[in-house]
Amino acid sequence: MHAKFSADELAFQSEVRSFMRDNYSADLAARIHHPDTFRDASVEWQKCLDNKGWAAHGWPVEHGGQPWSATQKYIYSTELAAAGAPDVVPMGIKMVAPVLYSYGSEEQKARFLPATKASDIWWCQGYSEPGAGSDLAALQTKAVRDGDDYLVTGTKIWTTYAQYADWIFCLVRTSNEGKPQQGISFLLIDMKSPGVTVSPIISIDDEHHLNEVSFDNVRVPMANRIGEENQGWTYAKALLTYERTALSGVPYCKRTLANIREMAAQSQNQSLSLLSSPDFQARLADVEMDVMALEFLELRVLSAIDSGGAPGMESSLLKLKGTEMQQAVQSLQWDVVASFGGVLPAEHGAQALWQSTANMARRSYMFGRASTIYGGSNEVQRNIIAKFALGLSHHAGEAEWIFH
Amino acid sequence: MDFSLNEEQLMLKDSVAKYLLANYSPEQRSANIMQSGGVSHWTHFAELGWLTVPFTEEVGGFGGSIVDTCVLMEEFGKVLVVEPYWPSIVLAGQLIARSSNTALCEGILPQLMAGELQASFAWLEGQGTFCLSHVSATAKLDGDDYILNGQKQLVLNAAADIILLPARTRGEVNSEQGISLFKIDAQDPAIEREEVVLMDGQRAVNIRFTNLRVPAENMLTAEGDAYPLIADVVGEALIALCAEAVGAMEYLYKATADYANTRKQFGTAIGKFQALQHRMVDMFMATELCRSLLIRAQCSVLDGSSERQKDIAALKSMVGKYGRQVAEEAVQLHGGMGVSNEMPIGHYLKRLMMIDSYFGSALHQRREYCELSYA
Repeated sequence: MHAKFSADELAFQSEVRSFMRDNYSADLAARIHHPDTFRDASVEWQKCLDNKGWAAHGWPVEHGGQPWSATQKYIYSTELAAAGAPDVVPMGIKMVAPVLYSYGSEEQKARFLPATKASDIWWCQGYSEPGAGSDLAALQTKAVRDGDDYLVTGTKIWTTYAQYADWIFCLVRTSNEGKPQQGISFLLIDMKSPGVTVSPIISIDDEHHLNEVSFDNVRVPMANRIGEENQGWTYAKALLTYERTALSGVPYCKRTLANIREMAAQSQNQSLSLLSSPDFQARLADVEMDVMALEFLELRVLSAIDSGGAPGMESSLLKLKGTEMQQAVQSLQWDVVASFGGVLPAEHGAQALWQSTANMARRSYMFGRASTIYGGSNEVQRNIIAKFALGLSHHAGEAEWIFH
Repeated sequence: MDFSLNEEQLMLKDSVAKYLLANYSPEQRSANIMQSGGVSHWTHFAELGWLTVPFTEEVGGFGGSIVDTCVLMEEFGKVLVVEPYWPSIVLAGQLIARSSNTALCEGILPQLMAGELQASFAWLEGQGTFCLSHVSATAKLDGDDYILNGQKQLVLNAAADIILLPARTRGEVNSEQGISLFKIDAQDPAIEREEVVLMDGQRAVNIRFTNLRVPAENMLTAEGDAYPLIADVVGEALIALCAEAVGAMEYLYKATADYANTRKQFGTAIGKFQALQHRMVDMFMATELCRSLLIRAQCSVLDGSSERQKDIAALKSMVGKYGRQVAEEAVQLHGGMGVSNEMPIGHYLKRLMMIDSYFGSALHQRREYCELSYA
């Protein structure tokens, strides 16, 4: 048992660190953080990572991934966060790509994987519907055969960045026979198709991330279906496992905690800093100790994968505790800067650092409320863990949880 | 990075688990406490070689690391072993083994590892709040002897033959300088003994010593220099104690889930109720978080990390807080059975509360963490 990095791992760490320092500029950061320039700057950053071979590092090597160990993946994500750099926008590289390389046809792989890796396609995810949230299998968007095409009609909701998307990957109903899970297919739909309408939903951080996407008799070639008709549920379950393992957010928590300590040390009241207050220290320590534990929980999962094991229930624990800790640090950060935080963006002379931190804290706190809802709400995660880790049986109304 | 146990450690875990499964049911445990004061298995522990685990091969031990000790302690925690492994082998045993007094090592360790002699460490003076350097007992040189005066509270392992006793040869009560550590005979006539039984089944003794004469050769380090040795051994002993707590927490969440699956109310197993399921998931989560910090602290010791003290304080604080929470939840979900002394659940609560109290509770350890982090 040991937690040390080897000489090779330390060399890798310094390679990633210098790459981030040399390539993630303040100018790029500013453009990524501004809504008007976010899309183009994100594409620019992902292309930069792709040129280095890192954008799709988690993919199989034959499709352009890296043969990294779990320790290397951990080092990579830690260094990325430490530099303040965002990870790639996940819908393409982390969410649809694993379904494509696992279940797609050779034509689909050739058509979509290289373009997704190079960030030439911006993807969005069409899962949730107004009547199908946690109970995803209740989805009603229907796809009816018409010659070699499907005609798709229905509404998807909470679709992140649909306003920028070139393509959407969708779960649609192709049959009403049998259990609800049995009649679902997985379709790739060009967002430029006639009949697709995107309407914005402004979230409580006052930003436009989310959308409603409606389909009115949208014509989709059958060649854009992944795998078998009515087998989409199987593919979606696999995708959600990938999504969930990427949600612990430990590097983000550590970076934000460092910012909290820095701001609290500067915050003075009668010449005593907030950081020196025992009350504040106790609260900060509670959060830090949980994050320390979460970090090792994640390392345990990664290390188990490295030695050939599969991520088990711990990955649900990671999503659950990870999102709770993200909210805890967001809440704490808000408390430190709250006296500046209610003000909407405007530079404020010498107070610029406080002002910008406060703006960031307000936005992350507000949008952070979504983290315990998306990717399978934390209540659903608890149901899954109850069943698969503790052997507790289903309760009324649950036919089959999708996330196992 | 590697968090797996090696082959020897897996074998040790397996053999401990097997022995305890056959010999340590809740009924056998109660009988052990009633009939022998909780030492019935000590000679078996010795025969199985468990008493040698944390000692180096040079002194005739198994040569285990902190990981091996934690493997044992975690299994002990699952069944609430009351034998004084922690006070005698992990605390007192390591204080002797790591001391600079080689004659004392050679004289005591073989008997200790053979199970023929038991030891204890007297760290508490009843000052109400905990502080490792709080030593008001005094030792004054008189010829080739020291004369010791003072009192110590709740010295674990009332059956101990020898007690390791810190006394001050100079300095203020809370100073880390000037603390000396003496080996004394537990039955010395200059010691007034009051035996007490603790709520977790452990037997302890309150001692008052008046003009207790101890030869200078029974001092474990150079005069006044014992604090670093004590701090080092106590730090690792806390990790081992937390391993026991994690074992107890694992027992509790599993036993609670099993009970919820069989207990029927309103015509159905109560384990089907979502409100209860989510509470059991949180018990599981708390246990896994504690286990994660346990691994972190072990790695910290093995890797010689500069964060060692901080990692140990975080671990002890979290185990104190979550250990108690998990046990309280287990009692609640067992309903009336949870508050019955006949059921094992309450005994785990008692043990976890006692573990929290040793060497500073969750609150104290959090303060320790803060001082190491934000000073």
